[in-house]
Amino acid sequence: MEPDIKWLDDPETFRVGMLPAHSDHRFYRSPDEIRNDDSSFVQSLNGQWQFAFAKDPMHRIQHFYDADFDASSFDEIKVPEHIEFAGYDKFHYINTMYPWEGKIYRRPAYALDQNDKGEGMFSEAPDNPVGQYIKKFELNPAFKDKKVRVCFDGVEKAMYVWLNGHFLGYAEDSFTPSEFDLTPYLQEGENTLAVEVFKLSTAAFLEDQDMFRFFGIFRDVSLIAQPEAHIEDLSIKPTLSDDLKDGTLNVETKMTVNKSGAVAKVTVSDADGNQLYNDTQPVTDSITVKDAPFKGVHLYSNHDPYLYQLTIEIDDKDGNVLEIVPYKFGFRKIEINQDKVLTYNGKRLVINGVNRHEWDCDSGRVVSVDDMEADIRTFKANNINAVRTCHYPDHKLWYHLCDINGIYVMAENNLESHGTWQKLGAVEPSYNVPGSVPQWKAAVVDRARNNYEMLKNHASIIFWSLGNESYAGDDIQAMQEFYKRVDPTRLVHYEGVVQNRKYEDVISDFESRMYASPDEIKDYLDNHPKKPFILCEYMHDMGNSLGGMKSYIDLIDKYPMYSGGFIWDFIDQAIRVNDEVTGQKVLRYGGDFDDRMSDYEFSGDGLMFADRTEKPAMQEVKYYYGQHK
Amino acid sequence: MVNTNNQLHVIYSDGGLGVGGDNFHYIFNYTRSGIESMVINGKEWLYREPKPIFWRATTDNDRGNGFSQKSVQWYGADMFASADKVDIKINDQLIEFPSAPLNNKYSNHEYADKVEVIYHFTTLTTPTTDVEISYTVMPDGDIAVHVHYTGNDQLPDLPAFGVRFVMPTLAAGFQYDGLSGETYPDRMAGGIPGEYQVDGLPVTNYMVPQDCGVHMATKSLTVTRNTTKDNSDKSSTPFKIKFVNDGQPFAFSCLPYTSEELENATHQEELPLPRRTVVSILGAVRGVGGIDSWGRDVEEQYHIPAGKDIDFGFRITKS
Repeated sequence: MEPDIKWLDDPETFRVGMLPAHSDHRFYRSPDEIRNDDSSFVQSLNGQWQFAFAKDPMHRIQHFYDADFDASSFDEIKVPEHIEFAGYDKFHYINTMYPWEGKIYRRPAYALDQNDKGEGMFSEAPDNPVGQYIKKFELNPAFKDKKVRVCFDGVEKAMYVWLNGHFLGYAEDSFTPSEFDLTPYLQEGENTLAVEVFKLSTAAFLEDQDMFRFFGIFRDVSLIAQPEAHIEDLSIKPTLSDDLKDGTLNVETKMTVNKSGAVAKVTVSDADGNQLYNDTQPVTDSITVKDAPFKGVHLYSNHDPYLYQLTIEIDDKDGNVLEIVPYKFGFRKIEINQDKVLTYNGKRLVINGVNRHEWDCDSGRVVSVDDMEADIRTFKANNINAVRTCHYPDHKLWYHLCDINGIYVMAENNLESHGTWQKLGAVEPSYNVPGSVPQWKAAVVDRARNNYEMLKNHASIIFWSLGNESYAGDDIQAMQEFYKRVDPTRLVHYEGVVQNRKYEDVISDFESRMYASPDEIKDYLDNHPKKPFILCEYMHDMGNSLGGMKSYIDLIDKYPMYSGGFIWDFIDQAIRVNDEVTGQKVLRYGGDFDDRMSDYEFSGDGLMFADRTEKPAMQEVKYYYGQHK
Repeated sequence: MVNTNNQLHVIYSDGGLGVGGDNFHYIFNYTRSGIESMVINGKEWLYREPKPIFWRATTDNDRGNGFSQKSVQWYGADMFASADKVDIKINDQLIEFPSAPLNNKYSNHEYADKVEVIYHFTTLTTPTTDVEISYTVMPDGDIAVHVHYTGNDQLPDLPAFGVRFVMPTLAAGFQYDGLSGETYPDRMAGGIPGEYQVDGLPVTNYMVPQDCGVHMATKSLTVTRNTTKDNSDKSSTPFKIKFVNDGQPFAFSCLPYTSEELENATHQEELPLPRRTVVSILGAVRGVGGIDSWGRDVEEQYHIPAGKDIDFGFRITKS
């Protein structure tokens, strides 16, 4: 297979040579490794990489990925890091408009004209910088003779990957993992991994989120060795009896097995370590738990995030451990009841939520464990019980932290095409994508699949969200159909119902709006509402704001069908730099980097300042979110 | 001058009215729109004369809904306010204004139980309306301040209404008996009543400087300084002044900047080096809003309608 730069222009090419998306379970060699969360199957490639920047595709170095390429002229860059933070490309903040606004005239391929393939739109674009990365590595000796893949947890926005000069594949969907099998091309001694990252591709039309626009390898890169018998995908389905007293557990796996005679030991323990289920089965196509009953089950919830421990150990025929997969799961039930009220474990659920962009003022969307743990503590301290991962899947660890802390998650796809349908504030979807444009459908359904497959086992996730502000059409309907097909246990959310009522019944289980006034909400709920109402964004906390929250909280007692909402948003997006005049550390926002067009301070809507100190408004959130907790 | 009968010593000067007593001395200027000097225990508390507040630095919400455009008259009214008339009452009796040479009839031995000086402002708006700030000095040196705004429904909503005291140096901090944190009429439910000490004069770190630091429902505010502008004053011993509610709680902010200084900066680092203390005692505070930041107004009940009279008062006392 040969790479083609034209893939950047083609909405129908979004994954080439990638391994299928799968659950985010980790696997270990021993209980010790589990305790230390240090899998000997993982070799991190984070750190210093060789790097060359090109201002556009025409100026990039050809054949930099060749095995014998002399990269002595390359710079060094840190991985993970946004290329902008490394100083190669300009910081740019813009909200709904595309970053090329006022600079390049673009219309998405096929959107206005089925014959317009958009050829050259990105592959020959002067505004499409390129990052070329080279990483030399020696394989961990323990990985020898094993299948080995490379996993990129997050790369914006389009990348081509080579190993030792052999092309491996191509990936978009910046916020979910991209994996490629390295096995056929690994060699003794030094190996050369080459990655070519483009800031723009057709994916840019789908990733028009209100945020600083970055590119590069911004999450971890790992080599992952595969045990001889390996759980490639794990699906845990805990369900509850109607009276919520008893649980039933179903587990299925997808396996890769290169060794016969392997045996799987499946156990389930409660939070105190008491074993409740124990089964041994030969490893075949799937390891399964079929309708295992759990009497008198301990429910999972925000106040009591009680998790059971599933452990699957795979041994070879001689009893040697091949891998151990631990995963915590919870029993809970999310429903819309016969009165059209959102319920959780049979009781009305009130969402006291926030929208959370990943942000660190010193590293952008490269967030640390400390950042994530601090955010969870802030949630807990202020009665925030839910988070919408606006508007893309987050770092894997975030979902685990939400699981163990009982934070309800609206898991949103990486999708926003705001600039294709809303212009100067008016709805004008003439060139909306994905819309109902057939050539854009597979890409967005793939995004839904990536999100689902990675995250499906998380107890904390209660809603799937199709994306943000992308209008509505057949393609988004196909995303909802995907979720409905694979997951009957969670609800689907999408706010675009409001923008195009034609799709009202096929893209969201909720009437979801953003920034509706209290009176508008009453108006909906007083007039034969079809669905429960949720605010996916409200209380726009830009600068000194968050006044009038009472009017929303008052709706909760008046209207059972009002489900609460997610405050916009958790943390200001600003970048900390040294002031050129005083040398002091200061926070800068859109337009401060000669970046145009910009939406300037509109990125500062957080309950937290960008340096993770609380805004004064937080005490108000704590108070009102404490009223129905 | 030894004040033996615990009365106020009144000095009928040509440029202003002096009012003195035990450990305090005040001077009310006749042409500069307010009290020019407020010396307590030997320390000057005023940098410039207090003026009415009509403006607050535009919040992001105000900007989004065009409030500052609609209410822009109040910006000029705030920036350039000046009194056009001064009245003086001695022991509750209005006296003929003691301008020269009429004041030749007085001596350096004039005493009173109560002195009230009333500054009349005509707002720099179209149409105009009237504002009065009156200072009533008691024999113990306490000043009861009363502020009146005459409603005029032809004017746009007010961004703020109060009195601004600019003190000569940066305060070391302040303490107040009120609500925790920064509160506004539509964002004060989470404020916890109590006594709070604030070190320095923090400006809330909003990306774009804007109105901030308001504390609603306050019973008292004490400002502590330890520096003066007096070149002969070598002391760094802290000294204090206290603002106490006069029946009704008040709102205040205590910042190193005026609303105009905040208004002009697009980043925190553009604000001037903090040098002074700006205490705003507010009789009316506009809410901050929050439904969105691109058009929705603050909820109606948290506006400051121009058509309604506003009256409020407080006392300034030695702490």
